[in-house]
Formats: sequence, structure tokens, C-alpha cells
Amino acid sequence: MRNEPLLSVSNLTVNLLTAKSAVRPVDGVSYSVRQGECLAIVGESGSGKTVMNFAPLGLMPTGVTTMLSGSVKLEGRELIGLPEAEIQKLRGKSVGFIFQDPMSALNPVRRIGRQIAEMAELHLNMTPKAAEARALELVKLVGISDPAARLRQYPHELSGGLRQRVVIAIALAGEPKLLIADEPTTALDVTVQAQILRLLKDVQKRLNMAMVLITHDMGVVAGAADNIVVMYAARAAERGPVDTVLVNPRHPYTRGLINAIPRREDPVGAEFRGLPGLPPALAAPFKGCAFTPRCDMAVPACSLARPPLEQVDGNVFVACPVVNHGKVAA
Amino acid sequence: MFHFISKRLKHSLVLLFLASLVCFTLVVSAPGNVAVLIAELRGAVATPGYVDQVAEEIGLHKPLLMRYVDWLGDAVQGDFGISYRTGQAVNADLSKRILVTGMLIAGGGVIATLISLILGFLGAFWPYRLPDRASRGLALIGASTPTFFVGALMIYAFSVSFRIFPSFGFEGPESWVLPWLTVAVLPAAVLSRVVRVGLEDAMSSPFVLTAKSKGLGRTAILLREALPNITPIFINALGTQVGLMTATAIIVEPLFAWQGLGDYFLAGVRFRDFMVVQACLLLFLSFFIVVNLVVDLAVMLTDPRIRRQWS
Repeated sequence: MRNEPLLSVSNLTVNLLTAKSAVRPVDGVSYSVRQGECLAIVGESGSGKTVMNFAPLGLMPTGVTTMLSGSVKLEGRELIGLPEAEIQKLRGKSVGFIFQDPMSALNPVRRIGRQIAEMAELHLNMTPKAAEARALELVKLVGISDPAARLRQYPHELSGGLRQRVVIAIALAGEPKLLIADEPTTALDVTVQAQILRLLKDVQKRLNMAMVLITHDMGVVAGAADNIVVMYAARAAERGPVDTVLVNPRHPYTRGLINAIPRREDPVGAEFRGLPGLPPALAAPFKGCAFTPRCDMAVPACSLARPPLEQVDGNVFVACPVVNHGKVAA
Repeated sequence: MFHFISKRLKHSLVLLFLASLVCFTLVVSAPGNVAVLIAELRGAVATPGYVDQVAEEIGLHKPLLMRYVDWLGDAVQGDFGISYRTGQAVNADLSKRILVTGMLIAGGGVIATLISLILGFLGAFWPYRLPDRASRGLALIGASTPTFFVGALMIYAFSVSFRIFPSFGFEGPESWVLPWLTVAVLPAAVLSRVVRVGLEDAMSSPFVLTAKSKGLGRTAILLREALPNITPIFINALGTQVGLMTATAIIVEPLFAWQGLGDYFLAGVRFRDFMVVQACLLLFLSFFIVVNLVVDLAVMLTDPRIRRQWS
């Protein structure tokens, strides 16, 4: 019943070259998302989760040379090596994007209505008038009150939560099959976060889209995603169905992350459990497992060879030989 | 909005009054005696006796404060007195010359706007590439070449060598081209940098990433997303430049033998013609004030965030 994944990434490596430096923020990562599915990509800041999703679609800042290798297939079409003009046609049309900070993601001097309607004109070949009507529908769809008035307003007249709803409306306007949400709730008030997440989940199900949810919030993952990829220092540490990975995390990094979530039974005033140490800089390549310096299970062999991502049981993949084969075997 | 304008106009009146005081002080304290000059102009030998007689005639013997108050009383009623030099009413001279200078500044302003938008846009479209470097080079040259020299070059190139445009006169559109280009060079150079830098700045804002994610192309993003964002900055800078063009006019008008305010003002200064200098300065200042008011209103129209504060 479910055949080809909508988005299929295999062995993706991204090298970024600026005038002064070279970094590899994504190093041989594979994952896939099917229609109607939500994949969460979790990791610390700088673990490459945003670049991994934006770079193949050409959304990188100017002045940076992006070099991609591996394979990224969207609806069976290879994106790597595709000219920018072709990728531009996919943006907005096949893939909708939602950004972290709704305060700055909208153009401050253009009306909300125009910013949404423009999408329908561009991708659905609508007349400006039809596009305005479509914008009104979308604004209603994302649950904005007094929709007609909102369309005539400017971004600064709206709250953060409303603006994020507008960003979502823009992302949906081209009727994309895939939604990439880059930390969509991070910049919002805690009370609004849950609403926006529920809205995203709701439209994803209703429009039967695939969604990639980039986040560092395990709570978001648990509520929204079907599958999860845990990123650490440009590589995937663990991958699998959310229910399995969250309940039974295997990779020491995943365990550390889940352990760091404050729990209700924690005594009042107890210290937060964090992960000791800092993530490594991505400029220097590491020979072994990048998590070794922070890992409480590390054995000398860990820093020698890069651990392969191995299937352990069901659909769970873990990149840790110590966990997969025991200390002695590693 | 109305409240805003009336408040600004009230401030402007105070400003005009203070300015008239300052320029009165400057003119009376400048060396040289207008009575001597008038005496010479009449072809008489400037004997001390005759000079005194002239001074008496034009009211120079009165105390300074009296002279100022007399002048102010008339000026408030719109009468700027009689020019010492020409013996004509300053008002009559002004009304002839305002049109000339107005033409110069309006034409120069339009040309500067067009050139700067084109240069700035080219630079922003191909940042750090040849068009950008070329427009930056032109801006540097344009901003650092003195206007009188630019005018001389224009005359040499277009009138002497190629004989396309006349080098002086105010006859028809052809004779307007060179003065317009000459006044436009400096503001075009400055404004092209404003456009270029503003566009680059706007292009690195997060909303441009959103625009890119919508599938918009580079040209569409520059025109639809970035340009509206720099409009308020551009209008502000344009206002300053248009105001400064009154100063450039003083240099450009004599160069092309245009009988404008700049030319009139300069002649007034040379002759210590207090009436003319004072009237011109107040006119220039009023122009500055009006331009600034228009700029503020235009910025309100183009930037919804500012509009909100005043409505």
C-alpha cells in the first residue's frame, strides 16, 4: 500500500566552503519520509539538521559554496546535480518551508494577504483575485480569527503565534507534498507552541502531506512524529520509529538526550541533568565516533573507526558498536 | 496625520526665525561696505561724504536691531524689500528665478534617482562582480569630483568635442540636459551606494529566505521583497540630496549662465546685498523644511511600521 518514499535521502554529505573555512555539517546521513508520515530530526544546535534539509533544496545563504554528494530523491527525482532553476520550481510547489522565527520570516512592508496570495499566483497559476480568495481560505485553514481583516494587515500588527500561522499558510499555499518545518515552535511562547504544533500535525494529516520536523525538543517529537533521526555532529546516531526510540533509546547520545528531559517526579529544586561536555567543532574530521569524548560507555576502539549505522531490531538503526555488539566485541 | 503636519510646521517657523537672525548677523558682520559698492555702481567717486549719503539713503545708519526688525516686519508680510544692487524689488527678481532653479533641482533629482536606482540595482544583482565593481567605481569618482569640474567636463565633452548639447542658456530641453546631468552626478553617486548597500542588507534578511522558499527568483525577490524595504531609506537620502542641491545650484547656474536663485544669491553675497542674501537663504531654508516634511510623509506612506505611530 505504501510504496516509494516521497523523500528519500541516502548517504548525503554536505560540504560548505566559505572564503575562509570549510566545514562538513552533514556527513553520510540517510533517511526517508513517506506520504502522510512525519519524520522528526533531532539534534543539538550545529548538528547539521537544518543544513541537511535546506542545502539540497538550494536554501543556503549567498557567499557559501555548497557541495553535495550522495542522493536526495523527491518523488523519485534526484535533486543533487539538478540546476538551481529546476530546484527553484520545486520550492514552494513541491516542498513548503516553515521557519524558526516568525518575527523575521515575513516581509515587514508587504501585506499578509499579498505574501500568501503570491504563492497561489506563482504555483497554481491563479489570477490575483482568485489568489486573494485562496489566501482567505488558507488563513481560515490555519485558524486565524477575523481572516479578512488579517489579510490587509502587516506582519508587525500580528503576534508571534499569528505570524507563525501566516508562515504556515504561505507554506501550504502551493499545495506541497512535503513540508519542512525548521524548529517551528522554538521562537514562540510556551503556551503558543502546543497550538502551533497541533495545527501543523492537523494540516499534515488532513492534507496527507509528508513532514520533516526539525527540532531539539523531545516533547515535540513525542507528540508529532512517526519516525525519528537523532543527529550528532553531522552524523545520524540513531534512527527508527518514535515509539521504539523514545521508550527504548539505545545510542548513548539518545539516552543522554532523553535523560535530560525534566521529569515530574524530580524533586523541586533538583539540578537539571544535562549531557556533560560540548559537541565537537565540525571543521576537523574525526576518525572515530564523534560522541566518544562525552560518552560514558566509550572503549578505546571508539575513537579509531567510524561506527556504522546498523539495524538492530525492527526498524531501529544505531551507530554504536558497543551497544550493538557489547564492549568486548567492539 | 494632520496633527503631525501642523506640529512640524510650527517647529519650522521657529527654525526660520532663528535662521534669519543668524544670517542677518553673518551678513552685517561680513567685511566690506555695501554703500561703497553702490556709490561705485552709480559711477561716482566713493568719497566718504558720498558714501555716507548713500548709507543714509538705504538706511544703514539705523541701529542694527532696528534694521533687523524693519526687515522682519516686511518679510513676514511677504515683502523682501529692494535689492541694493539692482534697485528692483527682491520679490520680482525671486519670482523670475525660482522657476529656473526649480527646473534645475527637479530635473537633477529625477536623473539622480534613475541613475542611482539602475547602478545600485546592477550592483545588488551581481554583488562583487563586474557590474558591482564598475558602479562602485563610478560612485567613488562621482562623489569625489567637485561639481564645477564635472560641469567643465560636461561642457568640454558634450558641447566642445561632440557638439551635442549647448553649453549655456535656458532655451529648450536641449539646453537643460547638461546642467541637469551636472547637478545629478553627486547625488546619483551617493544614492547609488544607498541603493546598493540597502538592497544587499535587505537581501540578507530572514524574510528573503522565506521568499526563496516560496520559489521566487532572484529578480522577483530583489524587486518585490527587497526594494519595498529600502524605499523609506532611499526617500530619506534623496530628501537630503535634493536639499543639498540648492548649494550645488549656486555652482552650476553661473557655469551654464542660468539666471537662477543660486546665481542671484552669489551676486548678492558679492555685493553685500543683505536684502537678497537674506531672502535667498530663507527661501533655501524653507525649501529644506518642505522637502523634509514631504520626505517624512512619503516615508510614512511607504513604511507601514512608521505610519502606525502617527495615525
